[in-house]
Amino acid sequence: MQAAFDLAEAGIKVCLVEKTLSIGGRMAQLDKTFPTNDCAICILAPKMMDCYRHENIEVLTFSEVISVEGEVGLFNVKILRRPRFIEEELCNGCGDCARVCPMGILNRFDMDLRVRSGAYIPFLQAVPLIYALDREKCMRCGLCKVVCGKDAIRYDQKPELVERTVGAIIVATGFDPLDPSDITEYGYGTYDNVLTALEYERLICAAGPTGGHVVRKDGKEVKRIAWIQCVGARDTRDNRPYCCSVCCMHATKEAILTREHYPEVETFILYTDLRCFGKGFQEYVNRAKDDYGVVYIRGKPGEIREKENGNLELFYSPYSDKVEILEVDMVVLCTALIPSEGVETLAKVLGIELDEYNFFKLRDPYNPTETTREGIFVAGYCQAPRDIPECIAHGSAAASRAMEVVLGGSDDRRD
Amino acid sequence: MEAVKIIGFLCNWCCYAGADLAGVSRFQYPPNIRIIRVMCSGRVDPVIILDAFLYGADGVFVGGCHPGDCHYLEGNYYAEKKIEMAQRLLKEARVEPKRLHLEWVSASEGERFSKIMKEFSDEIKALGPVTFETEALEAACLAAADYRLRILATKERELLEVGNKYGEVFTQHEMDRLLDDIVREEYEEKRILLKLKEPRSVKEIASELNLKPNIVLRHIMDLKRYELVDIHELRDYTPVYIARKLDEEGITE
Amino acid sequence: MTEEIRIGVFICHCGINIGGVVDVPAVVDYASTLKHVVHAERNLYTCSSEGLEAIKSAIKEHNLNRVVVASCTPRTHESLFRATCKEAGLNPYLFEFVNIRDQCSWVHMHEPESATEKAKDLVRMGVAKAARLEPLEELTSDVIPTAVVIGAGISGMTAALSLARSGFSVHLIEKEREPGGLLRNLYKLYPTDELAAEFLEQRIRAVNAHERITLHLSSTVKEVEGYVGKFKVILDEAGVEQAIDAGVIIVATGAKEFEPVGLYEYDGEKVITQLQLEEKLKKSDLNWAAIKTVVMIQCVGARGEVVGYCSKICCMNAIKNAKLIKETHPEVNVFIAHNELQAYGEEYELYYRAAKKAGVRFLRFPLEQRPKVRKSEGKLIVDVFHERLNLDIPIEADLVVLSVPLVQNPDALHLSKLLKVPLGQDKFFFEAHVKLRPVDFATDGIFLCGTAHGPKDIGESIAQGYAAASRATIPLAKGYVRSEPIISSVNEELCVGCGICESVCPYGAIEVVEVDEDKKRARVTSVKCKGCGTCGSSCVKRAIKMYHFSDDQLIAQERAAVTTEVR
Repeated sequence: MQAAFDLAEAGIKVCLVEKTLSIGGRMAQLDKTFPTNDCAICILAPKMMDCYRHENIEVLTFSEVISVEGEVGLFNVKILRRPRFIEEELCNGCGDCARVCPMGILNRFDMDLRVRSGAYIPFLQAVPLIYALDREKCMRCGLCKVVCGKDAIRYDQKPELVERTVGAIIVATGFDPLDPSDITEYGYGTYDNVLTALEYERLICAAGPTGGHVVRKDGKEVKRIAWIQCVGARDTRDNRPYCCSVCCMHATKEAILTREHYPEVETFILYTDLRCFGKGFQEYVNRAKDDYGVVYIRGKPGEIREKENGNLELFYSPYSDKVEILEVDMVVLCTALIPSEGVETLAKVLGIELDEYNFFKLRDPYNPTETTREGIFVAGYCQAPRDIPECIAHGSAAASRAMEVVLGGSDDRRD
Repeated sequence: MEAVKIIGFLCNWCCYAGADLAGVSRFQYPPNIRIIRVMCSGRVDPVIILDAFLYGADGVFVGGCHPGDCHYLEGNYYAEKKIEMAQRLLKEARVEPKRLHLEWVSASEGERFSKIMKEFSDEIKALGPVTFETEALEAACLAAADYRLRILATKERELLEVGNKYGEVFTQHEMDRLLDDIVREEYEEKRILLKLKEPRSVKEIASELNLKPNIVLRHIMDLKRYELVDIHELRDYTPVYIARKLDEEGITE
Repeated sequence: MTEEIRIGVFICHCGINIGGVVDVPAVVDYASTLKHVVHAERNLYTCSSEGLEAIKSAIKEHNLNRVVVASCTPRTHESLFRATCKEAGLNPYLFEFVNIRDQCSWVHMHEPESATEKAKDLVRMGVAKAARLEPLEELTSDVIPTAVVIGAGISGMTAALSLARSGFSVHLIEKEREPGGLLRNLYKLYPTDELAAEFLEQRIRAVNAHERITLHLSSTVKEVEGYVGKFKVILDEAGVEQAIDAGVIIVATGAKEFEPVGLYEYDGEKVITQLQLEEKLKKSDLNWAAIKTVVMIQCVGARGEVVGYCSKICCMNAIKNAKLIKETHPEVNVFIAHNELQAYGEEYELYYRAAKKAGVRFLRFPLEQRPKVRKSEGKLIVDVFHERLNLDIPIEADLVVLSVPLVQNPDALHLSKLLKVPLGQDKFFFEAHVKLRPVDFATDGIFLCGTAHGPKDIGESIAQGYAAASRATIPLAKGYVRSEPIISSVNEELCVGCGICESVCPYGAIEVVEVDEDKKRARVTSVKCKGCGTCGSSCVKRAIKMYHFSDDQLIAQERAAVTTEVR
């Protein structure tokens, strides 16, 4: 969005293609952002509106780029627009369809912690605020069609292919959290009270599925929570030796928020190396320790075992030869953040290379926005792990390269 | 319970957005509030707040961004001090200062906004419709419009954080004592000024306002020095004063 | 203005969102009774194309000169209705929005009568304000298509090159005799291990070769006047004064290495900093025959010792130099005593592993018990506390290298005052928003990049250089800056020049100036004003008018809320 906005403001027309139903990305799922504890959606929503309403930006949601031909200065891009089964121009976001739909489906945005109906928007502040019918689960019962005041339901809507001719392309496909089910020693998916960091984020989010209340599946009160860092990352097992950069601060933030909401709950962060390098990070960690009483333990657990009452025992070894056991009510796994699903296909479509971890490869290691194909630039986490301000700067950086193409002409683009 | 009316001044970027979110999420609250949108809580002038009470508002709510989050960087810090000034004046005018309430609400606190609305409505309902002596609130409005209190309301922050021209930093306690005194004096002065719309003697004013005559005299001497009152006539050696004409809005030049 | 006020009121049903709770026809009827209202109608969806058409035709048919729409929320739809009014020939600032959905029907769903009464009150308030609205023109100001970049380090050069390639003239100001900044002091770069000098040479050549870049060496900024679009930067270029007119300014002044005087037996010979080590490596100035053990100490002066922050790059920098030493002199023992090792991101973990493989030994110490350097019998000993064994391990070192943080340049304070931009708690320049606007200053038209913003490595400095260029290109490419006319204005007859307004404005948009001999008045620079209104409510003489949120508009609104008489 930052790249699109900069370009649009400079007078350049932009086509913003988003795979899901709404722009906003992962930041929309967050409750607050470190180290300022700003409310994520509050600062994000105006940016989303700015993008959507900008006269120079065409936002195509629920769409994917399926072919790219040509070269820098003149790319011919084909985009597949998937059907929402609702006429975009008519829908005004009133939500009547969602209220009558009988289907209950796990909401991916809420990390499957909440049920949404078959007629839905991914979240309340979605941009555009246009509903969609779940293609797989829709029964065509007709109830939504009856209540829709604008007669916008279209059961037989087909995918649409559109073409755009552009001078430059920017890839900013973000990341997915790793599903730690394969890391069997931690019991994710088996033990009830082991969650991933994004799932916990949705729990503690005021606008989330539980209204900001941290609850266990069995309803038991949560008194002690432990975060485990580097789950699946810095790990040579599955070819993820890299550090995801943001998880130490993410855990710190979640722990601080937890202590704010529930001053009696004990919070533990079990880490390997605490990555507190950014602006304000060390001070944030100091606050967590001194003001909020977050306990940092250096020692990644080798195993988690579940007790009969659903509590979890973490087996770890800090500075002695002994193995210590920490018993908690809930464990949050800060899993690796990996390049998004579909990135391999996209790389082929775009004709650019990925590196060995599936991040988009740079032509030159010191030129952080150029991919291996001239005219195609990259921004954000999909190129390498970085936090929000770095992603935004990176987005602007990619925009500046695209500006050079469009404004400067072809002569002196290379460094 | 009688219907009470609350006026809300919400800042566009945080509280107004939070109120919208309460709506989007359908968090219900009592219908007593009438919301006025401003760009920043720092825009809310104590004069406007006191005028609202004068015209019959039973409660006034001001909503801004959390400290540090102000869209215009610092407006909410100034808003806080202005609201406190207005509360002091309400107290002088014998209106419960609780009727004026300031809250920081972020754009994501939809549910919290609805809770705050419910709590504040309940509080105002419990206090009942506002009652006041008209001249008392009018005096408060005049005091809020006058330069002395306006300077102090704005400078308070600087005096607490950076210090005065000699680098002396005030404590909150010192500031509170200072402001309480000055607000009382300004309020008294304005009350006297309003009384002097009709010719009156010091003794008459002292008895009507339940103030010591020497205090009334001191104020009148000040007012005279500022050329706001004149001697109207002498009644048996007792000077009777009268105020010079005030302009349409009741604001002195 | 003696023109008759003719207000048109449009109440939206929003399907059943409003209509299902609020008695819309009753509100329409009520609106028609209000003073100045000459037309009132209801729409199913005022924001639909039919609704917008209805507004436009009503404006024409009834000669409306004010429009009030009561529907959802201005935060999403105000610009839409303003644009609609504009299309119908009505000044867009003669439009007022009344929120009767998000703040009425949606939150009083079970009290339809009260919600209806509230909607009527809100419409009355909106009408009262609308009657007092004035037509306003958006301010447009030209932008000089030139940029000034202060600092010719890697981020400054990157920004300059990007701007030049996009077609703009750039004046690149450098206080030293040569460009390059901190890069000039480096030997090799991580993680590629290439030579810093070659890397830098390439870029300096590009800068010198570009026709649109003018490099000013040995130059410092003396004064800065103006505002976005029209800055005047006055330089001292090797003793000669020069004035440059520019539309935007980018601050890329870099940082410097902290000097750990008095810490860890620092002497610049046997106990040195990392940059001093790189200098010696570059010049092959180390007697390797006499060096058996090198001990590097991390976090010297950082993370609570002198400065509070973590300087981000010292761990990787130390690893780079340690690995280099092991690769060229494998017989030398190299230790890195560290606390939290910052090998973040995609490549650094692997580089760290490579260093381990090359034989660099990593010792971890707790932050509360940092290593101590002492001299004993002419030898240098570093005591590193080992948490597991719970004792100090003394290491005899022939060379001790201290990894110190980057700190702000001493002349930054002066520059920050010249530009009226803030420094943060850590003394680095403070951006407009820590999360969302890392390379912008709150002041329009001035941007930030590189280590001037905070410690960062070369890749990040380059990314920020490009980012600042992108942000700066926006006003340059547009050629103008436009601001909403929701700004302040001073009535010079009431103003006494006390300056309180100037003291509260965070944008420097209102200043007391001498308008005449002995006469000082506050003046607003419209382009800088953001319309917050803090000056307006602070003015001791109530001499400041806030357009579109003026005292009489707000007072009319609140009075209309509690009384039914509309004046």
